[in-house]
Amino acid sequence: MVDPTKWLELYGDLLFQYTLPRVNDREIAEDMVQETFLSALKGLAGFKEEASEKNWLFAILKNKIIDHYRKRATEDHFTSMPDLQNAQDEWFNEEGNWTFDRMPRDWQFSDNQVERKEIQKIIDWCKDHLKSVQQQVFTLKYMEDLDSIEICKVLNISSSNYWVIIHRARLQMRECVEKHWLNK
Amino acid sequence: MKRFMMKYFMINCRESTLLMAKKEEGRLSFMEKFNLALHISMCNFCRKFEKQMAKIKKESINISADDNLSQPSREKIIESLKKYNS
Repeated sequence: MVDPTKWLELYGDLLFQYTLPRVNDREIAEDMVQETFLSALKGLAGFKEEASEKNWLFAILKNKIIDHYRKRATEDHFTSMPDLQNAQDEWFNEEGNWTFDRMPRDWQFSDNQVERKEIQKIIDWCKDHLKSVQQQVFTLKYMEDLDSIEICKVLNISSSNYWVIIHRARLQMRECVEKHWLNK
Repeated sequence: MKRFMMKYFMINCRESTLLMAKKEEGRLSFMEKFNLALHISMCNFCRKFEKQMAKIKKESINISADDNLSQPSREKIIESLKKYNS
């Protein structure tokens, strides 16, 4: 049985904890949890009992997160598209191969819970320090699991810009995670 | 022959790391798949890059904050749900 009076207690913090790293703003995240509950109430009639209440609320929330990015993209217009041509050149030499000081190094990693939590914290920190457009693409791709076609639509960017941005975001993220992982 | 090989089959690390991003979505042509596999088989650094990015991808989806909803926002939510019901 669906019981909206228990939603806040059962799912409030869970939804909030999911949202916060994906929108990077406490107030927006809190509002989104509230709006998720309100949308759920409005759509209560359409809820099918065989779906889990939790998954249903998360599906509503995820739509709100994507809407948030869509809205932001129309506001930002990405007027300051970063210098996209040859944007990867700081990692590579003239032949397009790794420069000596930016080559990937070895990570020692033992897949236990503590280390996984630790690396998740580092990824989150590094993501927060990406430039805006890279951060949006990274979040939608790796934290929301959208594909490139969906992300281009949400952020209103061309496919060729997308691949330049995600390529750079990946290079940046890997390097940042490595730096913090090896110096922890 | 060597020049021919270099021109048609050899990609560099910049191209290889871009193809890896496309590979995640299964968007590589047969040639690109071949070029990437060949490059990775010879380039220790790109091999590391691919492995480490797979790790980042795997963990990113599970990221969640430790914080809870603030008390004022809880009250606001309760209030708005009440309002909706009445």
